[in-house]
Amino acid sequence: MQDDAKLKIENIYMRFGGLVALDNVSLQVKRGEILAIIGPNGAGKTVLLNCISGFYRPQEGNIYFEGERINSKAAHQRGKMGLARTFQNIELYSGLTTVENLMAARQAYMKSNFLANALYFGPTHKEEIEHRRIVEDIIDFLEMESIRDTVVGVLPYGLRKRVELGRALALEPKVLLLDEPMAGMNLEEKEDLCRFIIDIYEGQGNMYPDTPTLRDGVDTIALIEHDMGVVMSLADRIVVLDFGHVIAEGTPSEIKVNPAVIKVYLGEEVF
Amino acid sequence: MNTDKPVYIIPGLLIGNAQRWPDKVAMRKKDRGIWQEYTWGDVYKKVKYLSLGFMALGLGKGERVTFVGDNEPELEWGIFAVQSAGGLTAGAYPDSIPSELKYIAEHSDSKFAIANDQEQCDKFIQLKNELPGLKKVIYWDPKGLAHYDDPLLMSYDELIEMGEQFEKEHPTAFEDSVASIEPEDFCALYYTSGTSGLPKGAMMSHRNLIKFGEGTVYKCGVRPDYNLLSVASSAFIGSTFVATIPCLLTGATLNYPEEVETLVRDTREVGPQLIANVPRNWEAMVAMTEMRVMDAGFLKRLFYRLFLPVGFKRADFSYAKQRPNLLWRLLIWLAEVTLFRQLKDRHGLLNARVATTGSAAMSPDTFRFWRSLGISLRQIYAGTEAGYISGHDTDDIKDDTVGTLVPGVEARVSHAGELLVRSESMFRGYYKDPEKTQASIKDGWFHTGDAAHIADDGHVVYLDRVTDLAHMASGESYAPGYIEGRLRYSPYLKDAIVLGDNRHFVASIITIKYDNVGRWAEKNHVSYTTYADLSQKEDVAGLIRKDVDRVNKNLPASTRIKKYVLLHKEFDPDEAELTRTQKLRRSFIEQRYKSIVDAIYGGKEEIAVEASVTYQDGRKGVTRTVVRVRSCE
Repeated sequence: MQDDAKLKIENIYMRFGGLVALDNVSLQVKRGEILAIIGPNGAGKTVLLNCISGFYRPQEGNIYFEGERINSKAAHQRGKMGLARTFQNIELYSGLTTVENLMAARQAYMKSNFLANALYFGPTHKEEIEHRRIVEDIIDFLEMESIRDTVVGVLPYGLRKRVELGRALALEPKVLLLDEPMAGMNLEEKEDLCRFIIDIYEGQGNMYPDTPTLRDGVDTIALIEHDMGVVMSLADRIVVLDFGHVIAEGTPSEIKVNPAVIKVYLGEEVF
Repeated sequence: MNTDKPVYIIPGLLIGNAQRWPDKVAMRKKDRGIWQEYTWGDVYKKVKYLSLGFMALGLGKGERVTFVGDNEPELEWGIFAVQSAGGLTAGAYPDSIPSELKYIAEHSDSKFAIANDQEQCDKFIQLKNELPGLKKVIYWDPKGLAHYDDPLLMSYDELIEMGEQFEKEHPTAFEDSVASIEPEDFCALYYTSGTSGLPKGAMMSHRNLIKFGEGTVYKCGVRPDYNLLSVASSAFIGSTFVATIPCLLTGATLNYPEEVETLVRDTREVGPQLIANVPRNWEAMVAMTEMRVMDAGFLKRLFYRLFLPVGFKRADFSYAKQRPNLLWRLLIWLAEVTLFRQLKDRHGLLNARVATTGSAAMSPDTFRFWRSLGISLRQIYAGTEAGYISGHDTDDIKDDTVGTLVPGVEARVSHAGELLVRSESMFRGYYKDPEKTQASIKDGWFHTGDAAHIADDGHVVYLDRVTDLAHMASGESYAPGYIEGRLRYSPYLKDAIVLGDNRHFVASIITIKYDNVGRWAEKNHVSYTTYADLSQKEDVAGLIRKDVDRVNKNLPASTRIKKYVLLHKEFDPDEAELTRTQKLRRSFIEQRYKSIVDAIYGGKEEIAVEASVTYQDGRKGVTRTVVRVRSCE
C-alpha cells in the first residue's frame, strides 16, 4: 500500500437489488490533493461517497483510511477518525441555529458526560467555551456572522450549504468529502465557495491559531461536482464515473481530451 | 508635546485623550460574537507604531495614502497614523470596482495604500502595473492572505514591527512629527461622490476637520459617556464629522458593527445615544416596520393600528408646541409602554437622545412617523465642501427647515437663490484642480449650488439643488426632489424620479421594492416570474397608483403627476444610476431611459425596452421587456 494514499478504495461492489451502482470501483485519494469525482447523473458518485462515509456498506471490496480497513466502522466512528462530509441535499438540524449546528458537531470532541453537561459547572463550562471559540473561528472564516443566531431552516439554500461546510470543518477532518457543494448556486456564491475551499486546503496559519483545521488546513479533499469550470480550476486530479465504472482518471488537462469522457458527456463523435 | 496648538491637529487630540483617559474605552468592535474594547491608551499605541512604520517605509510630509475597507477600528488607526506622520488620506468606498479605486489612488498620487482584506488586496494586485507610484499595500485582516507572496503586500503587524524598530533608531520621531504639524496642514482628501462628472478630491486641513466635528459636538451635545456608531464608510466625510472627530473631541466611545449585515442587531446591543443616519435609512426603517407589522400576528397588528394614530396625535402636539391634556397624556403613555418602546428597541433607538438625518431631503411623512414614536429627527445640513452649515438645536426642531447656522458660519443667499457660505469647516480647495476651486470658492464664499433661503427666525430652508429646481413649459416651477421624497415613503416603492422639465405635465419613473411588492403579490395571488414581470402587472400598477394619488393630493393641480412608468429594473450604483451614497443621478437616468421618457410625453401606451445591464462582476448582459405607461387621469 502506498504511503501517500489517505483514502483507498479497492474493488468495491455496491448493488441495490438488481441494480449495480458501483461495479469494481477502485480509487485513491492521496494526501495533499483535491480530487474531483465527476460523471453524469446516476453514475454512482453519491453512492461512492456514501460507501466512504459509512452510510452504505458495499457488498464486496475494501475501504482503507490511513491504512486502516474501515468497512466495518459505523458512520459516526469514521467521523471521529477524521472523515467529514457535506450532503447533496443538506442534512442539518433545521430547527437549530447556525451556532448550535456547529456546536453539535463539536460534540464528538467533548469529554464531559451528559450529567455534567446538564449541571453545567466548572470544567464543563470551560470546555463549552473552548469549543465555542473554535466554532466562532469557523463562523468568522466562512463569514457567517450575520446568521450566527438564525435558525438554519429559514436560511436560503446557498447559506445552508455554507453552514453544512462549517459543520464538516467543526469535526476537524483529515479528509473532507463534499457532495456537490456548488449545486444550485449563482456565480457569485460559487466564486465565494471556491475561495473557501482553496483557503481550507491551504490553511490560514496564524489567523486562527487555536483552530487546527483552519490553521493547518485540510490537505485532502474529495468533491463531487457538476460545474466543469469549478472542477477544472480546483482539482488536482479527476476521476470519472459512468454507470458504476471508473472510466477515466487523470489531471484536468488529461481528462479534457480523454475520448471516453467526451463520449459520456457529449455523446458520440460530432466533430 | 507643544501645548499651544494641540487642539486643532488630529494627533494632538488623540495624544490628549490617551493622557486624560488612558483606560477609558475609545473603540468597541464585535469580533467572534464578543465586543472587543480598545482604550484610548491602546489606540494611541497602535497609531504611534503604525505611524512610525509609515515613516520607516518613507512616507513623507504631505504625501498621500489611499485607504479602502469596511469601518473597523484598524482603519481608523491607519488613518490617524498617516495623519500623525504628516500625510494625507484619500478614501475609496469598499465596494469600489478596481477602476474607481485606480482613479483615486492615481489622482491622489498615493505612495501607499491601506486595504482591509483579501478582496481589497486583490484589487490592488490587479492594478499593480497601472499604479507604478504605489509602493506598498498594508492590510489589517490577514484572512485568506496567508499564501500570498506579492512583495506589494504587508500586514499591519509587520508595519507595527517596523515602527518599533524605527523607534529604537529614532526615539523621538513620532513626537517630532506630531510637533511639526500645523493646524492648517492638509490631512485628508475626500473624494466627492460625483453626482456630476468624475470625483473631485476635496482637500481638508486638520483645523478644517476638527471644526467640522465641533459642529456635531455643539449641535448634538455629544458627551464623554455617549456611545456613537460608525456606520457610514470612512471614505465619506459624514463618518468623520458625526462619529470619529466628535469622539476625539469628547472622549465618547465609537462602536463598530461586526458586519454590515449585523448592523441592526449590533445597534440594538450598543444602544447609542447619538444616531446619525441618511434619510434612506430612516425611510427604510419605516418601511421595514410596516412590513413586519403586516406579517405579525393579530394582536400586534391591532396594537399597531390602535396606537400609531395616538403617536400621530403626539406628533401634532409636538409640532404645535402644545402640552397634551391629561387624557392624551395617558393615551400616549399607554402607547409608549405597549408599542413605541418595543419599536424603538427593535431599531436600537431606546437610548437615543439625539437622532439626525442629512445629506438628502427626507419626506415629511418619515419625520412624522419618528416623531410619533417620540424621536425628533434633527437635520444636519453639511457637505464635504461646504462644511457644517446648520442643524437643529434641542428645543428648536422644525421638520421643514435644516436648522440654524452653526456658530462661526456665515451664510447669505445670492441673487440666483443660491446659498453661499463661509466658515472654518469649509474645504480648502480641490486637489490638482485650481479651476474648479476658483469656480466654487469666490472671495472666500463657497457656492453650495443649493437653493435655499434663510427665514426670519434664523432657520435655513432648503429647497433643492439650484440646477434641479425644475420649470415646466408653462414656466411654473416645481421641486422634483420633494415629490420623489414623498413617493418614497411607500413600503412598495424603492425609488422614483420625477420628470417635467420644459414639458407640459409632470411624470414619474418609479421602481418598485421587489421584496415587499413580491410579498404583497403572493398574498393577493398575483403570480409573477421576475422583477421585470412583476413590475408590469396591472395589479401592481393599481397598488402603486394609490401611492401616486396620495402624493398628488398634496400637490397643486398643475404640478401633479399625470403619468408614471414602473421601470423593469431597479436603479443600480453598478450602472452609475445611483452614486455610491445611493443618491439618484436624475439627468443621467433621464438620458439613459430616453425612449421611455419620449413614450410618456409622446402619448404612447407602452414601449419595448432593451437595457444593457452591468453585473457586479463586470460582465454585461441585455434584458428585453415591454414597459407600460400608466395614466393618473
